[in-house]
Amino acid sequence: MMTTRQKKIGLTALAGVSLSVALAGCATDATAESDAGAAAPAETPAASSAATPAATSSASSGDSAGSSSGSTYKDGTYEATGSYTSPNGQEEIDVSLTLAGDVITAVTVTPEATNPNSVNYQNQFADGIAQVVVGKDIDEIEVSRVAGSSLTSGGFNKAVETIKADAA
Amino acid sequence: MIADPAQVEAAADTDPAGADPAGADPVASAAGPSRFDFEAIGTHWQIETPHPLDPATRAAVLARVEAFDRDFSRFRPDSLVTALARGAGTVDLPADAVPLFELYDRLHAATDGAVDPLVGARLEELGYDAAYTLRPSESTVPDARARPSWAGGVTRAAAARGGVAVSAPAGTVIDVGAAGKGYLVDLVASVLRDAGHTEYVVDGSGDLAHSGGAPVRVGLEHPLDPRKAIGVAELAGVSLCASASNRRVWGEGLHHIVDPRTGSPAREVIATWVVASTTALADGLATALFFTGAHQLAKTFHFSYVRMYADGRAERSRDFPGELFA
Repeated sequence: MMTTRQKKIGLTALAGVSLSVALAGCATDATAESDAGAAAPAETPAASSAATPAATSSASSGDSAGSSSGSTYKDGTYEATGSYTSPNGQEEIDVSLTLAGDVITAVTVTPEATNPNSVNYQNQFADGIAQVVVGKDIDEIEVSRVAGSSLTSGGFNKAVETIKADAA
Repeated sequence: MIADPAQVEAAADTDPAGADPAGADPVASAAGPSRFDFEAIGTHWQIETPHPLDPATRAAVLARVEAFDRDFSRFRPDSLVTALARGAGTVDLPADAVPLFELYDRLHAATDGAVDPLVGARLEELGYDAAYTLRPSESTVPDARARPSWAGGVTRAAAARGGVAVSAPAGTVIDVGAAGKGYLVDLVASVLRDAGHTEYVVDGSGDLAHSGGAPVRVGLEHPLDPRKAIGVAELAGVSLCASASNRRVWGEGLHHIVDPRTGSPAREVIATWVVASTTALADGLATALFFTGAHQLAKTFHFSYVRMYADGRAERSRDFPGELFA
Protein backbone atom coordinates (compact mmCIF):
# COMPACT_ATOMS: atom_id res chain seq x y z
CA MET A 1 0.00 0.00 0.00
CA MET A 2 2.83 2.28 0.95
CA THR A 3 4.59 1.49 -2.28
CA THR A 4 1.60 2.37 -4.34
CA ARG A 5 1.19 5.68 -2.69
CA GLN A 6 4.83 6.52 -3.08
CA LYS A 7 4.77 5.61 -6.69
CA LYS A 8 1.86 7.89 -7.33
CA ILE A 9 3.56 10.71 -5.57
CA GLY A 10 6.73 10.13 -7.49
CA LEU A 11 5.00 10.19 -10.84
CA THR A 12 3.13 13.31 -9.91
CA ALA A 13 6.43 14.88 -9.12
CA LEU A 14 7.72 13.93 -12.50
CA ALA A 15 4.84 15.62 -14.19
CA GLY A 16 5.22 18.64 -12.03
CA VAL A 17 8.55 19.59 -13.48
CA SER A 18 7.79 18.62 -17.02
CA LEU A 19 10.45 16.00 -16.92
CA SER A 20 9.83 12.87 -18.84
CA VAL A 21 12.17 9.98 -18.85
CA ALA A 22 12.01 7.95 -21.99
CA LEU A 23 13.16 4.42 -21.55
CA ALA A 24 14.36 2.61 -24.56
CA GLY A 25 16.07 -0.65 -25.14
CA CYS A 26 18.30 -2.39 -22.72
CA ALA A 27 20.24 -0.59 -20.11
CA THR A 28 23.31 -2.18 -18.76
CA ASP A 29 26.60 -0.93 -17.72
CA ALA A 30 29.72 -2.44 -16.41
CA THR A 31 29.32 -0.94 -13.00
CA ALA A 32 25.91 -2.37 -12.43
CA GLU A 33 25.44 -4.62 -9.49
CA SER A 34 24.20 -7.68 -11.23
CA ASP A 35 22.79 -10.56 -9.33
CA ALA A 36 23.90 -12.82 -12.10
CA GLY A 37 27.44 -11.75 -11.72
CA ALA A 38 28.17 -12.03 -15.38
CA ALA A 39 28.33 -8.58 -16.81
CA ALA A 40 26.35 -8.21 -19.94
CA PRO A 41 28.14 -6.87 -22.96
CA ALA A 42 28.53 -3.18 -22.73
CA GLU A 43 25.76 -1.34 -24.38
CA THR A 44 25.00 2.25 -24.69
CA PRO A 45 23.24 3.43 -21.62
CA ALA A 46 19.78 3.66 -22.87
CA ALA A 47 17.73 5.58 -20.42
CA SER A 48 17.57 8.83 -22.23
CA SER A 49 15.64 11.59 -20.73
CA ALA A 50 13.84 14.22 -22.62
CA ALA A 51 13.49 16.74 -19.92
CA THR A 52 12.42 20.28 -20.41
CA PRO A 53 14.41 22.27 -21.00
CA ALA A 54 17.54 20.25 -20.57
CA ALA A 55 18.60 16.96 -19.19
CA THR A 56 21.57 14.77 -18.88
CA SER A 57 21.16 11.14 -18.25
CA SER A 58 22.94 8.07 -17.28
CA ALA A 59 21.65 4.63 -16.76
CA SER A 60 22.63 1.94 -14.41
CA SER A 61 21.06 -1.40 -14.16
CA GLY A 62 20.60 -2.32 -10.57
CA ASP A 63 18.91 -5.61 -11.13
CA SER A 64 19.60 -6.59 -14.64
CA ALA A 65 19.52 -10.28 -13.89
CA GLY A 66 15.76 -10.30 -13.81
CA SER A 67 14.01 -12.15 -16.54
CA SER A 68 13.10 -9.75 -19.22
CA SER A 69 11.90 -12.05 -21.90
CA GLY A 70 8.73 -10.65 -23.30
CA SER A 71 9.49 -7.27 -21.86
CA THR A 72 10.07 -4.28 -23.98
CA TYR A 73 12.50 -2.83 -21.51
CA LYS A 74 15.24 -4.53 -19.67
CA ASP A 75 14.66 -4.81 -15.98
CA GLY A 76 16.78 -2.51 -13.93
CA THR A 77 17.14 0.85 -12.38
CA TYR A 78 17.39 3.82 -14.66
CA GLU A 79 18.66 7.14 -13.51
CA ALA A 80 18.44 10.54 -15.07
CA THR A 81 19.19 14.07 -14.05
CA GLY A 82 16.83 16.72 -15.26
CA SER A 83 17.06 20.44 -14.94
CA TYR A 84 14.34 22.99 -14.95
CA THR A 85 13.98 26.68 -14.47
CA SER A 86 12.35 27.69 -11.24
CA PRO A 87 11.69 31.22 -10.09
CA ASN A 88 14.97 30.85 -8.26
CA GLY A 89 16.95 29.95 -11.31
CA GLN A 90 18.14 26.73 -12.79
CA GLU A 91 17.57 23.69 -10.59
CA GLU A 92 18.26 20.03 -11.00
CA ILE A 93 16.58 16.88 -9.83
CA ASP A 94 17.64 13.29 -10.06
CA VAL A 95 15.10 10.71 -11.07
CA SER A 96 15.50 7.01 -10.55
CA LEU A 97 13.08 4.46 -11.99
CA THR A 98 13.10 0.76 -11.35
CA LEU A 99 11.55 -1.45 -13.99
CA ALA A 100 10.54 -5.07 -13.66
CA GLY A 101 8.70 -6.68 -16.54
CA ASP A 102 7.90 -3.30 -18.03
CA VAL A 103 6.27 -2.22 -14.80
CA ILE A 104 7.65 0.65 -12.82
CA THR A 105 8.21 -0.73 -9.36
CA ALA A 106 9.91 2.27 -7.83
CA VAL A 107 10.40 5.92 -8.55
CA THR A 108 12.67 8.16 -6.62
CA VAL A 109 13.03 11.84 -7.24
CA THR A 110 15.85 13.48 -5.39
CA PRO A 111 16.39 17.19 -5.19
CA GLU A 112 19.64 18.82 -6.04
CA ALA A 113 18.62 22.35 -5.19
CA THR A 114 20.78 24.76 -3.34
CA ASN A 115 18.41 27.68 -3.20
CA PRO A 116 16.49 27.44 0.09
CA ASN A 117 13.14 28.09 -1.55
CA SER A 118 13.78 25.42 -4.09
CA VAL A 119 14.95 23.07 -1.40
CA ASN A 120 11.56 23.33 0.23
CA TYR A 121 9.80 22.88 -3.07
CA GLN A 122 11.85 19.95 -4.16
CA ASN A 123 11.71 18.23 -0.83
CA GLN A 124 8.04 17.84 -1.45
CA PHE A 125 8.89 15.96 -4.59
CA ALA A 126 11.58 13.97 -3.03
CA ASP A 127 9.78 12.82 -0.01
CA GLY A 128 6.18 13.06 -0.88
CA ILE A 129 5.23 13.78 2.65
CA ALA A 130 7.07 16.95 3.45
CA GLN A 131 3.93 18.07 5.11
CA VAL A 132 2.85 19.33 8.43
CA VAL A 133 3.06 16.60 11.01
CA VAL A 134 0.92 16.33 14.08
CA GLY A 135 1.90 15.08 17.47
CA LYS A 136 0.15 12.12 18.99
CA ASP A 137 0.28 11.43 22.68
CA ILE A 138 3.13 9.08 23.35
CA ASP A 139 0.88 7.06 25.65
CA GLU A 140 -1.35 6.23 22.72
CA ILE A 141 1.09 4.96 20.14
CA GLU A 142 2.44 1.79 21.74
CA VAL A 143 6.12 2.46 21.70
CA SER A 144 8.66 1.10 24.11
CA ARG A 145 11.08 3.99 23.70
CA VAL A 146 11.18 7.58 22.61
CA ALA A 147 13.94 9.30 20.68
CA GLY A 148 14.37 13.02 20.78
CA SER A 149 17.13 15.29 21.92
CA SER A 150 19.16 13.94 24.79
CA LEU A 151 17.97 14.65 28.26
CA THR A 152 20.07 17.32 29.87
CA SER A 153 21.99 16.99 33.06
CA GLY A 154 21.08 18.54 36.35
CA GLY A 155 23.99 20.94 36.04
CA PHE A 156 22.82 22.31 32.74
CA ASN A 157 19.25 22.63 33.90
CA LYS A 158 20.31 24.42 37.05
CA ALA A 159 22.41 26.87 35.06
CA VAL A 160 19.52 27.65 32.76
CA GLU A 161 17.25 28.25 35.74
CA THR A 162 19.82 30.63 37.20
CA ILE A 163 19.92 32.59 33.98
CA LYS A 164 16.16 32.80 33.83
CA ALA A 165 16.06 33.99 37.42
CA ASP A 166 18.69 36.63 36.70
CA ALA A 167 16.79 37.81 33.68
CA ALA A 168 13.47 38.02 35.48
CA MET B 1 25.41 14.12 21.27
CA ILE B 2 27.94 14.47 23.90
CA ALA B 3 27.02 17.54 25.54
CA ASP B 4 27.38 17.81 29.16
CA PRO B 5 29.80 17.27 31.87
CA ALA B 6 30.32 14.03 32.17
CA GLN B 7 30.71 12.11 35.26
CA VAL B 8 29.58 8.56 35.20
CA GLU B 9 27.19 8.83 38.02
CA ALA B 10 25.75 6.20 40.23
CA ALA B 11 24.46 3.24 38.38
CA ALA B 12 20.87 3.20 39.38
CA ASP B 13 19.58 -0.24 38.89
CA THR B 14 16.05 -0.78 37.77
CA ASP B 15 16.55 -4.36 36.80
CA PRO B 16 13.85 -6.18 38.70
CA ALA B 17 15.72 -9.42 38.93
CA GLY B 18 18.95 -7.79 39.96
CA ALA B 19 17.24 -5.62 42.50
CA ASP B 20 15.83 -8.61 44.26
CA PRO B 21 18.35 -9.71 46.83
CA ALA B 22 16.94 -13.20 46.85
CA GLY B 23 16.82 -13.36 43.10
CA ALA B 24 19.01 -16.35 42.67
CA ASP B 25 17.25 -17.42 39.55
CA PRO B 26 16.83 -14.66 37.03
CA VAL B 27 13.29 -14.97 35.86
CA ALA B 28 13.94 -12.21 33.42
CA SER B 29 12.38 -13.81 30.40
CA ALA B 30 9.14 -14.37 32.23
CA ALA B 31 9.23 -10.99 33.88
CA GLY B 32 10.20 -9.13 30.73
CA PRO B 33 13.52 -7.70 29.78
CA SER B 34 16.14 -6.61 32.25
CA ARG B 35 17.24 -3.03 32.32
CA PHE B 36 20.45 -1.43 33.43
CA ASP B 37 20.18 2.33 33.89
CA PHE B 38 22.97 4.76 34.53
CA GLU B 39 23.88 8.39 34.11
CA ALA B 40 26.91 9.15 31.96
CA ILE B 41 28.28 11.92 29.76
CA GLY B 42 25.62 14.17 31.15
CA THR B 43 22.57 12.18 30.20
CA HIS B 44 20.58 9.06 30.93
CA TRP B 45 21.46 5.64 29.54
CA GLN B 46 19.56 2.39 29.54
CA ILE B 47 20.60 -1.05 28.39
CA GLU B 48 17.86 -3.60 27.86
CA THR B 49 18.65 -7.29 27.57
CA PRO B 50 16.55 -10.45 27.84
CA HIS B 51 18.60 -11.53 30.85
CA PRO B 52 20.31 -9.38 33.44
CA LEU B 53 23.84 -8.22 32.82
CA ASP B 54 26.17 -9.75 35.34
CA PRO B 55 28.10 -7.41 37.63
CA ALA B 56 31.32 -7.81 35.64
CA THR B 57 29.61 -6.78 32.43
CA ARG B 58 28.01 -3.81 34.10
CA ALA B 59 31.36 -2.75 35.43
CA ALA B 60 32.90 -3.17 31.99
CA VAL B 61 30.20 -0.98 30.45
CA LEU B 62 30.73 1.75 33.01
CA ALA B 63 34.48 1.55 32.62
CA ARG B 64 34.18 1.84 28.86
CA VAL B 65 32.00 4.92 29.14
CA GLU B 66 34.26 6.49 31.72
CA ALA B 67 37.37 5.95 29.62
CA PHE B 68 35.80 7.51 26.56
CA ASP B 69 34.58 10.45 28.58
CA ARG B 70 37.94 10.99 30.24
CA ASP B 71 39.59 11.14 26.83
CA PHE B 72 37.08 13.11 24.77
CA SER B 73 34.92 15.30 27.01
CA ARG B 74 35.59 19.00 26.70
CA PHE B 75 33.54 19.40 29.87
CA ARG B 76 36.11 17.63 32.03
CA PRO B 77 39.17 19.40 33.34
CA ASP B 78 41.13 16.15 33.26
CA SER B 79 40.34 15.09 29.71
CA LEU B 80 42.83 14.88 26.87
CA VAL B 81 40.71 17.21 24.79
CA THR B 82 40.84 19.80 27.57
CA ALA B 83 44.59 19.37 27.83
CA LEU B 84 44.91 20.12 24.14
CA ALA B 85 42.71 23.20 24.43
CA ARG B 86 44.82 24.48 27.30
CA GLY B 87 48.02 24.32 25.33
CA ALA B 88 49.45 20.84 25.73
CA GLY B 89 50.48 21.08 22.10
CA THR B 90 50.11 17.38 21.41
CA VAL B 91 47.99 14.73 23.09
CA ASP B 92 47.92 11.02 22.42
CA LEU B 93 44.36 9.89 21.94
CA PRO B 94 43.62 6.17 22.17
CA ALA B 95 42.70 3.86 19.30
CA ASP B 96 39.04 4.81 19.87
CA ALA B 97 39.84 8.04 18.08
CA VAL B 98 40.73 6.41 14.77
CA PRO B 99 37.29 5.34 13.53
CA LEU B 100 35.71 8.38 15.12
CA PHE B 101 38.03 10.79 13.35
CA GLU B 102 37.66 8.93 10.09
CA LEU B 103 33.92 9.38 10.35
CA TYR B 104 34.43 13.08 11.06
CA ASP B 105 36.66 13.34 7.99
CA ARG B 106 33.85 12.00 5.84
CA LEU B 107 31.18 14.08 7.52
CA HIS B 108 33.27 17.21 7.23
CA ALA B 109 33.78 16.63 3.52
CA ALA B 110 30.19 15.63 2.80
CA THR B 111 28.77 18.68 4.59
CA ASP B 112 31.26 21.18 3.15
CA GLY B 113 32.53 21.85 6.62
CA ALA B 114 29.26 22.07 8.53
CA VAL B 115 30.15 19.13 10.73
CA ASP B 116 33.47 20.00 12.30
CA PRO B 117 34.83 18.91 15.69
CA LEU B 118 36.60 22.23 16.01
CA VAL B 119 33.25 23.93 16.50
CA GLY B 120 34.03 23.48 20.20
CA ALA B 121 35.69 26.88 20.49
CA ARG B 122 32.64 28.60 19.06
CA LEU B 123 30.28 26.65 21.33
CA GLU B 124 32.30 27.83 24.31
CA GLU B 125 32.13 31.42 23.08
CA LEU B 126 28.38 31.11 22.86
CA GLY B 127 28.35 30.08 26.50
CA TYR B 128 28.17 26.31 26.20
CA ASP B 129 31.31 25.65 28.16
CA ALA B 130 32.40 23.39 30.96
CA ALA B 131 31.24 25.88 33.58
CA TYR B 132 27.86 26.32 31.90
CA THR B 133 28.43 30.05 31.60
CA LEU B 134 25.51 30.00 29.16
CA ARG B 135 26.14 33.59 28.21
CA PRO B 136 27.71 34.50 24.89
CA SER B 137 31.00 36.28 25.13
CA GLU B 138 32.61 38.62 22.68
CA SER B 139 33.97 36.57 19.83
CA THR B 140 37.70 36.63 19.42
CA VAL B 141 37.22 35.62 15.81
CA PRO B 142 34.33 37.68 14.45
CA ASP B 143 34.60 36.11 11.03
CA ALA B 144 33.64 32.47 11.41
CA ARG B 145 35.45 31.58 8.22
CA ALA B 146 38.71 32.72 9.74
CA ARG B 147 38.58 29.97 12.33
CA PRO B 148 40.67 26.86 11.98
CA SER B 149 38.70 23.95 10.57
CA TRP B 150 39.03 20.20 10.86
CA ALA B 151 40.79 20.32 7.50
CA GLY B 152 44.12 21.67 8.64
CA GLY B 153 43.28 22.95 12.09
CA VAL B 154 44.86 19.94 13.75
CA THR B 155 47.58 17.60 12.65
CA ARG B 156 47.31 13.91 13.32
CA ALA B 157 49.95 11.22 13.46
CA ALA B 158 50.04 7.60 14.47
CA ALA B 159 50.68 7.10 18.16
CA ALA B 160 51.47 4.18 20.39
CA ARG B 161 49.00 1.31 20.72
CA GLY B 162 47.09 2.27 17.60
CA GLY B 163 46.22 5.69 18.87
CA VAL B 164 46.37 9.13 17.32
CA ALA B 165 48.69 11.93 18.32
CA VAL B 166 46.80 15.16 17.81
CA SER B 167 48.65 18.46 17.68
CA ALA B 168 47.03 21.87 17.69
CA PRO B 169 47.61 25.30 19.14
CA ALA B 170 46.15 26.30 22.50
CA GLY B 171 42.52 27.28 22.19
CA THR B 172 41.71 24.45 19.81
CA VAL B 173 38.64 22.84 21.31
CA ILE B 174 37.68 19.46 19.90
CA ASP B 175 34.00 18.76 20.43
CA VAL B 176 32.88 15.29 19.41
CA GLY B 177 29.26 16.15 20.09
CA ALA B 178 28.04 15.40 16.59
CA ALA B 179 28.96 11.73 16.51
CA GLY B 180 30.63 10.95 19.82
CA LYS B 181 27.65 9.72 21.76
CA GLY B 182 26.53 7.48 18.94
CA TYR B 183 30.04 6.12 18.74
CA LEU B 184 29.99 5.46 22.46
CA VAL B 185 26.71 3.56 22.05
CA ASP B 186 28.55 1.36 19.53
CA LEU B 187 31.43 0.88 21.95
CA VAL B 188 29.06 -0.13 24.72
CA ALA B 189 27.31 -2.53 22.35
CA SER B 190 30.64 -4.16 21.60
CA VAL B 191 31.22 -4.65 25.33
CA LEU B 192 27.89 -6.47 25.44
CA ARG B 193 28.75 -8.63 22.47
CA ASP B 194 32.12 -9.47 24.00
CA ALA B 195 30.20 -10.68 27.03
CA GLY B 196 28.09 -12.95 24.86
CA HIS B 197 24.97 -10.82 24.52
CA THR B 198 23.38 -10.85 21.08
CA GLU B 199 20.03 -9.33 21.98
CA TYR B 200 20.09 -5.83 23.36
CA VAL B 201 18.99 -2.25 23.10
CA VAL B 202 21.60 0.30 24.10
CA ASP B 203 19.78 3.60 24.52
CA GLY B 204 21.92 6.63 25.20
CA SER B 205 19.01 9.06 25.44
CA GLY B 206 18.12 9.71 21.86
CA ASP B 207 20.77 7.51 20.30
CA LEU B 208 20.17 3.80 20.32
CA ALA B 209 21.36 0.52 18.89
CA HIS B 210 19.17 -2.54 18.54
CA SER B 211 20.37 -6.09 18.06
CA GLY B 212 18.51 -9.37 17.91
CA GLY B 213 15.11 -10.30 19.23
CA ALA B 214 11.91 -8.51 18.46
CA PRO B 215 12.03 -5.16 16.68
CA VAL B 216 11.73 -2.13 18.89
CA ARG B 217 9.15 0.57 18.27
CA VAL B 218 10.48 4.02 19.02
CA GLY B 219 8.41 7.18 19.18
CA LEU B 220 9.86 10.21 17.42
CA GLU B 221 9.56 12.83 20.09
CA HIS B 222 7.88 16.06 19.03
CA PRO B 223 10.59 18.70 19.38
CA LEU B 224 8.07 21.25 20.57
CA ASP B 225 6.14 18.97 22.93
CA PRO B 226 7.96 16.09 24.59
CA ARG B 227 4.69 14.43 25.58
CA LYS B 228 3.95 13.81 21.95
CA ALA B 229 5.50 11.99 19.03
CA ILE B 230 5.37 12.95 15.37
CA GLY B 231 5.88 9.40 14.23
CA VAL B 232 7.19 5.96 15.00
CA ALA B 233 10.25 4.08 13.87
CA GLU B 234 10.47 0.32 13.99
CA LEU B 235 14.01 -0.92 14.27
CA ALA B 236 15.61 -4.32 13.92
CA GLY B 237 19.35 -4.72 13.91
CA VAL B 238 20.08 -1.08 13.17
CA SER B 239 20.72 2.15 14.99
CA LEU B 240 18.55 5.23 15.35
CA CYS B 241 19.76 8.63 16.42
CA ALA B 242 17.71 11.69 17.12
CA SER B 243 18.92 15.22 17.29
CA ALA B 244 16.87 18.24 18.22
CA SER B 245 17.53 21.78 19.25
CA ASN B 246 14.92 21.91 21.99
CA ARG B 247 16.67 20.84 25.17
CA ARG B 248 20.14 22.32 25.09
CA VAL B 249 18.84 25.85 24.83
CA TRP B 250 20.17 28.67 26.95
CA GLY B 251 18.88 31.82 25.35
CA GLU B 252 17.04 33.32 22.41
CA GLY B 253 18.22 31.37 19.38
CA LEU B 254 21.06 29.79 21.34
CA HIS B 255 21.36 26.04 21.25
CA HIS B 256 24.04 23.46 20.80
CA ILE B 257 23.78 22.69 17.07
CA VAL B 258 26.03 25.32 15.58
CA ASP B 259 27.21 25.77 12.02
CA PRO B 260 30.92 26.51 12.26
CA ARG B 261 30.84 28.22 8.90
CA THR B 262 28.57 30.95 10.22
CA GLY B 263 29.10 30.59 13.94
CA SER B 264 25.34 30.52 14.43
CA PRO B 265 22.96 27.84 15.68
CA ALA B 266 20.77 26.14 13.09
CA ARG B 267 17.39 27.76 12.50
CA GLU B 268 15.29 26.06 9.86
CA VAL B 269 15.61 22.45 10.96
CA ILE B 270 14.50 21.70 14.49
CA ALA B 271 14.79 17.92 14.71
CA THR B 272 16.25 15.00 12.79
CA TRP B 273 16.17 11.24 13.06
CA VAL B 274 18.52 8.95 11.19
CA VAL B 275 18.58 5.18 10.85
CA ALA B 276 21.90 3.67 9.83
CA SER B 277 24.02 0.59 10.29
CA THR B 278 26.09 2.08 13.09
CA THR B 279 25.08 4.45 15.82
CA ALA B 280 28.10 6.66 15.22
CA LEU B 281 27.06 7.20 11.62
CA ALA B 282 23.43 7.77 12.53
CA ASP B 283 24.45 10.31 15.15
CA GLY B 284 26.78 12.20 12.83
CA LEU B 285 24.20 12.31 10.06
CA ALA B 286 21.50 13.47 12.45
CA THR B 287 23.66 16.52 13.07
CA ALA B 288 24.64 16.88 9.42
CA LEU B 289 20.99 17.04 8.35
CA PHE B 290 20.61 20.31 10.23
CA PHE B 291 22.86 21.90 7.63
CA THR B 292 23.08 19.69 4.57
CA GLY B 293 20.47 18.16 2.30
CA ALA B 294 19.84 14.46 2.45
CA HIS B 295 20.55 14.12 -1.23
CA GLN B 296 24.01 15.55 -0.78
CA LEU B 297 24.73 13.26 2.18
CA ALA B 298 23.42 10.26 0.28
CA LYS B 299 26.31 10.60 -2.12
CA THR B 300 28.59 9.51 0.69
CA PHE B 301 26.48 7.58 3.19
CA HIS B 302 23.73 5.00 3.35
CA PHE B 303 20.95 6.00 5.72
CA SER B 304 17.29 6.79 6.01
CA TYR B 305 15.91 9.78 7.83
CA VAL B 306 13.17 12.09 9.03
CA ARG B 307 13.75 15.82 9.21
CA MET B 308 11.41 18.32 10.81
CA TYR B 309 11.38 22.04 10.10
CA ALA B 310 10.54 24.99 12.29
CA ASP B 311 7.32 25.52 10.35
CA GLY B 312 5.98 22.14 11.46
CA ARG B 313 6.58 20.25 8.27
CA ALA B 314 8.55 17.05 8.19
CA GLU B 315 10.12 15.12 5.38
CA ARG B 316 11.30 11.56 5.31
CA SER B 317 13.21 9.31 3.03
CA ARG B 318 11.11 6.67 1.42
CA ASP B 319 12.94 3.88 3.12
CA PHE B 320 12.60 5.23 6.66
CA PRO B 321 11.37 2.24 8.68
CA GLY B 322 8.33 3.75 10.24
CA GLU B 323 5.60 6.31 9.81
CA LEU B 324 4.90 9.96 10.39
CA PHE B 325 1.65 11.28 11.79
CA ALA B 326 0.04 13.75 9.44
